[in-house]
Amino acid sequence: MYKVLLISKYLRRKLAPLFAAVAVTICTAMVIIVISVMGGFLQTMRDAARRGTGDITIEAGWTGFPHYAELAQTLEQLPEVHAATPVIVGAGMVKLGDHVQVAPVVLGVDPADLNKVLPFQSTLYWGEENMSLPQVRQRAMQWQLPWDDPADADGSQASEANGNGKTTPPRGIMPGIEVYPKRRDKGGQYASWQSLIGARMNLTVVPVTQAGGMLEPETRELVVVNEIKSGLYDVDKSHIFVPFDLLQEMMGMGADEVIDPETGEPVGGRHEPRASRILVRAAPGVDLETAHEAVRKATARFAANHPDMTGLYTYTWEDQHRDLLNAVRNEKGLITVLFTIISVVAVVMVATIFYMIVLEKTRDIGVLRAIGASRMGIANIFLGYGLVIGLLGAILGTALGVTFVYNLNELQDLLDAWFGWRMWSAETYYFDEIPEHVDYAEAALIAFGAVVSSLAGALIPAALAAQLDPVESLRYE
Amino acid sequence: MTTTTTTILRTTSLHKHYRLGDQDLHVLRGVDLAVEAGEWVAILGASGSGKSTLLHLLGGLDRPDAGQVRFNGDNIFSLGGSRIDQYRNRYVGFVFQFYHLLPELTALENVLISAMMGRSVFGWPGVRKSVRQRAVQLLTQMGLGERLRHRPNKLSGGERQRVAIARALINEPRVLLADEPTGNLDADTGRQILALLADLHKAGQTIVMVTHDQRIADYADRCLTLERGKLVG
Repeated sequence: MYKVLLISKYLRRKLAPLFAAVAVTICTAMVIIVISVMGGFLQTMRDAARRGTGDITIEAGWTGFPHYAELAQTLEQLPEVHAATPVIVGAGMVKLGDHVQVAPVVLGVDPADLNKVLPFQSTLYWGEENMSLPQVRQRAMQWQLPWDDPADADGSQASEANGNGKTTPPRGIMPGIEVYPKRRDKGGQYASWQSLIGARMNLTVVPVTQAGGMLEPETRELVVVNEIKSGLYDVDKSHIFVPFDLLQEMMGMGADEVIDPETGEPVGGRHEPRASRILVRAAPGVDLETAHEAVRKATARFAANHPDMTGLYTYTWEDQHRDLLNAVRNEKGLITVLFTIISVVAVVMVATIFYMIVLEKTRDIGVLRAIGASRMGIANIFLGYGLVIGLLGAILGTALGVTFVYNLNELQDLLDAWFGWRMWSAETYYFDEIPEHVDYAEAALIAFGAVVSSLAGALIPAALAAQLDPVESLRYE
Repeated sequence: MTTTTTTILRTTSLHKHYRLGDQDLHVLRGVDLAVEAGEWVAILGASGSGKSTLLHLLGGLDRPDAGQVRFNGDNIFSLGGSRIDQYRNRYVGFVFQFYHLLPELTALENVLISAMMGRSVFGWPGVRKSVRQRAVQLLTQMGLGERLRHRPNKLSGGERQRVAIARALINEPRVLLADEPTGNLDADTGRQILALLADLHKAGQTIVMVTHDQRIADYADRCLTLERGKLVG
């Protein structure tokens, strides 16, 4: 009982334990903030990567593969698969006014189909909430401008006759919102007057033959119907979405006539149209690896029945982003270890403060021994003291760290408003906002670590106190 | 009518050495002492004669290099670690020259802390009321009824020593070990403390007191002198 009394008295009357508790608090908060930001970074990256590519991808190299619609249908029959959609992938350049920009990833998609695999519609930045135009997103999903006549299936801007009199499919384009950068205000928002909706944009891609040869570049004038903001800066900077059949045609992957390479004359018959990839979304509740295995087997079976489908391979979103995710995961581990090492400072500080308290209390220790306290009892006073300080520091540190993490973006806005400084740069990192994510199991582990560290810090001084010779202690001045 | 006396504390051939640099100080050179129950023994000695060392050995606070200290016939140094702590807590009470009160605690808490030892957080509430009553009674008896909540730094030297005596008595020890109890007090206050010890002795308290002052030693029933490491007188 006397230990409880003394611990409570020492805690109330000394400044030193307050410093020790503050050290533990700061270290706990620091490790929680670092681990949470890095963990949030990893989680956001995982979510964004998955959102951007679907669960499973089927691919056969740059020249694509035929029978894609049939394969997608076959895959959709699988109980492990929710939806599958073919996409065309190309690369090229876009030109807006005088501004020419490399477009590393041009994707030909059917928005409605793609939306079954990815939350595509939700990544369209311009909507009713930030524009005074009705049905911006719904129209864009049909490659239409908001002011197009909905009855006009082709869209007024997009339905133009080309030279051979054939009506092309609706020609809209949706570039990533950072393809044309520097339009954001300080708060990270894009003003609606800066929207590119309605702007004319030239897209140039280089078609590739099935044999892998390059053909003359193809250029089309397209009209921006919306812009994409996935939240993953890398995607928003590099991805451009166009109608599936438009890109298929531009890339020379459509059902063209078969041409004799020697004579350049048609030899009769048409090529089977090709797609670059099929994106697959696993059925709800189905484990990614299970779905992958089912897709892999079904694809192999399908390819076995189609001799012109060679070189098909499948991979999951985790496979696709493994290097990046592993790098971030390792980085998180490394930073956590580094900050944990820094936190050893707290242990040393607790040990130093406690050692000083032991020195200061040497005579009192002698008195306590004289009135019957055991060595273990003396040690327990300091261990209990360390435990209380550890608990206090862990609780305060966890509260501080969690509050800090959940208000990081607000804090950044404040710093920006006061000093014009933003600690998080969307250009440098992948996301436009600092991830606010706390793993409570990790936080609890850190808090536990703080208590153990504090106890470890108190251990040596406690042992020293216990070993003090009571007679010498009583003589101590 | 015959009076039977019991030896409560006995030392036999007690030796104690100290090392001071390269020097070996043989402080106690075979001390033999027998203290009867209810007796007040004063041990007189010059500064550095080893009288405090003897008191520490009697109280189990230090260990001899040779010899024994027997309490009620039992050699206290053959007791296990926790039992010797218990001996210090229950059977003897120390009073020091410099009071040695804990500065964070009030007068009442300084007295209570001795009673708290050996009692767990769960065991304490059961006895708290009665122990507190006894502590208040002891302090009131010593004229400190109004000073229960004062910290040591708010008390005079005499008051501090009375708190220290109350702390030593709270567990009703068989022997009170007083180390120069008036050494840090003015003459008047010293006399008051000695009167207090005399009252306790009258009530049957066994007291072993060490002092360098013959006038103080005269208060005791018996006075022994520690000379060259041995008790004489």
